[in-house]
Amino acid sequence: MSLMQTLRIGRLARSLEDLLRVPDHAFGYPLLRPEGLTEEAQEALLGLCPSGAFFREGRTFGLDLARCVGCGRCALARPEAVGEMKRLEVAVTRKEDLVQRVDLERGTFLDPGPPPPPRPELALPTLAFREVSAGDTGLADSEVALAGNPFNDMGRFGFSVVASPRHADALLVTGPVSRNMAEALRRTYEAVPEPKGVVAVGNEAISGGVFAGSPEVVGGVDRVVPVDVYVPGDPPRPGAILFGLLLLAGRVRQRLVGGVLR
Amino acid sequence: MDAVKEALREGRPVALFPDGEGVVLVAEVGRDVRVFHLGEGRRFPSLAAEFPAMDWWERALWERGYTPEGHPNPKPLRRHDLPFAFRAFKELHEVPVGPVHAGIIEPGHFRFSVLGERIVNLEIRLGYQHRGLLALLPGKGPEAALLLVERAGSEPLAHALAFAQAWEEALGRKAPPRAHALRRAALELERAFGHLGHLAGLFTDIGYAYGSTQVGRIRALLQGELDRLTGHRYGRNFLRVGGVWREGRPDLSALALYREELARLLPRLLKHPQVLDRMRYVGVVRRVEAEALGFVGPTARASGVARDLRQDDPAYLSFQPVVRQGGDVLARAQVYAEETLQALDYALHFLTHLPEGPLAQDLPPGDGEAMARVEAGRGEVFWFVRVAGGKVALAEGVDPSFKNWRALELAVRGEGLPDFPLCNKSFDLSYAGNDL
Repeated sequence: MSLMQTLRIGRLARSLEDLLRVPDHAFGYPLLRPEGLTEEAQEALLGLCPSGAFFREGRTFGLDLARCVGCGRCALARPEAVGEMKRLEVAVTRKEDLVQRVDLERGTFLDPGPPPPPRPELALPTLAFREVSAGDTGLADSEVALAGNPFNDMGRFGFSVVASPRHADALLVTGPVSRNMAEALRRTYEAVPEPKGVVAVGNEAISGGVFAGSPEVVGGVDRVVPVDVYVPGDPPRPGAILFGLLLLAGRVRQRLVGGVLR
Repeated sequence: MDAVKEALREGRPVALFPDGEGVVLVAEVGRDVRVFHLGEGRRFPSLAAEFPAMDWWERALWERGYTPEGHPNPKPLRRHDLPFAFRAFKELHEVPVGPVHAGIIEPGHFRFSVLGERIVNLEIRLGYQHRGLLALLPGKGPEAALLLVERAGSEPLAHALAFAQAWEEALGRKAPPRAHALRRAALELERAFGHLGHLAGLFTDIGYAYGSTQVGRIRALLQGELDRLTGHRYGRNFLRVGGVWREGRPDLSALALYREELARLLPRLLKHPQVLDRMRYVGVVRRVEAEALGFVGPTARASGVARDLRQDDPAYLSFQPVVRQGGDVLARAQVYAEETLQALDYALHFLTHLPEGPLAQDLPPGDGEAMARVEAGRGEVFWFVRVAGGKVALAEGVDPSFKNWRALELAVRGEGLPDFPLCNKSFDLSYAGNDL
């Protein structure tokens, strides 16, 4: 019975191309439309975003993907000013690449230049990860765990999650880093042998997310340990996490530059 | 004071939170909720010596600057800047575990006192996930507040639902019937998804790979349907104060198919000799313990306490709580399995009987206060909100995990140390929900 059932179910793993797409029914990542950013649209966007992802600095208008909770209300209310990126290749090695900045005078995106290359010493055929939850609600942790399920199957890329930091090549850290976890995170990082990497998974791990103002959190993994790859999302889907791990291993090219897929 | 004691003797605490200089105690007696205002000048009489259920509540208030007068052993729960002395046993070996664990789970510290392999005592120290969530809420509008509320525990839909209902009631409004049904459908899908996660984890922990893979497979497919309904893999950004934001189209025939597959699969898995061998008579929580310490949700129901908040909800036709008397890991697994099927039945019912009408009504900024409770997968979620001018003036939430953590301390007593992960997974409590 069990064997028959297994044979009937067949192979579950989805292709990487399939995993890196945001499904039709869900909102992906917002993308500013420079041509639609009228004065009135800017005001509306600043007012309606519940997490304060939009900002204005002098003559630039911006959108911080690390502050976006992905509700999609901006794109619904102001389709002329905000579009959508339906891809999960959003992991970056440089935090500035998560911010879209539009020069309002010229109506174009500002280009921060080419991102730094991935670290060659981590370009290994297999990578072992230790996951550290540091103030995460449990959902980003859950997505990391699900990245190893038969559908996403991170094992096929040579990635595994190990029990001890001593056996790990890199840390996957979730959450805004509560003050009470900062020391534990630091010591876990020190226990990982060189060369070692760190992946910050989720918006809270990148900059504190909705907890950014709380005195009880440090407000980002990179304030405690150096971070190599940032994976935005709230929480990021397993496909986005997989892309981040591939980026850490130097097997894919970073596609998000200046907040725009290029 | 006599009325307070009677309520706690007959019932259990639902919430204890500060309001200005006094504290508010909410207790459930039978199916009624009673509210008491205690103390003044940031001092209130401690009840923990007589009612152990009050212990953690009073400690949580103590570290927030309120004095429970006469508390036998005040020590911090969430704050790590205050001294914390573990209970020490001479002659016993101590095994510290955590905060960073071997699996992919949240941080917490467990201090075992063992005699050989046997656990004599476990003391849990949490607070690693403390993010000061409650302190961020005052001054927030409904949308910004909901973002925080959705992060108050690993069941965002249940928390958002309780908060939204409290807000609506504070303003004397109701969500439209269609939103009401959609909210409940999403809540039941969240419950099924969570329960299957507990079951898959249990099978992993006893090395039953077939069980964990099969349950995990259906769970992942089910998550896809939750994603279709709410637009988020965990149902965030779906609820709003006044209704819901959107209405997705889950595949109802697929949901029915998963339900049928689970109905065949789960009873078979739970009868497997390997499962019975590892789960039966392990990690027992007795009914008297569950009642005295005020446990909620599947933890209480697996120990014979027949209480489920859905009993009070007229939307759930002919609702019967799932109860087991064993109190062991197997009983909790059986409750998860049966409640999963029940949850999918109700989700399908709500989704096939959607009333016509709008998805939300806009609520004017107003004033008022109210509390609401929702039966989440792990038990009772509580939110109280006081609204002033459309903003939060005071908000207080309680995740069911806060009420259930001590069940783990009791369950592992006398068990072998290697059975700890199994016992822990059988409750599968939220650390962030406890630490807020």
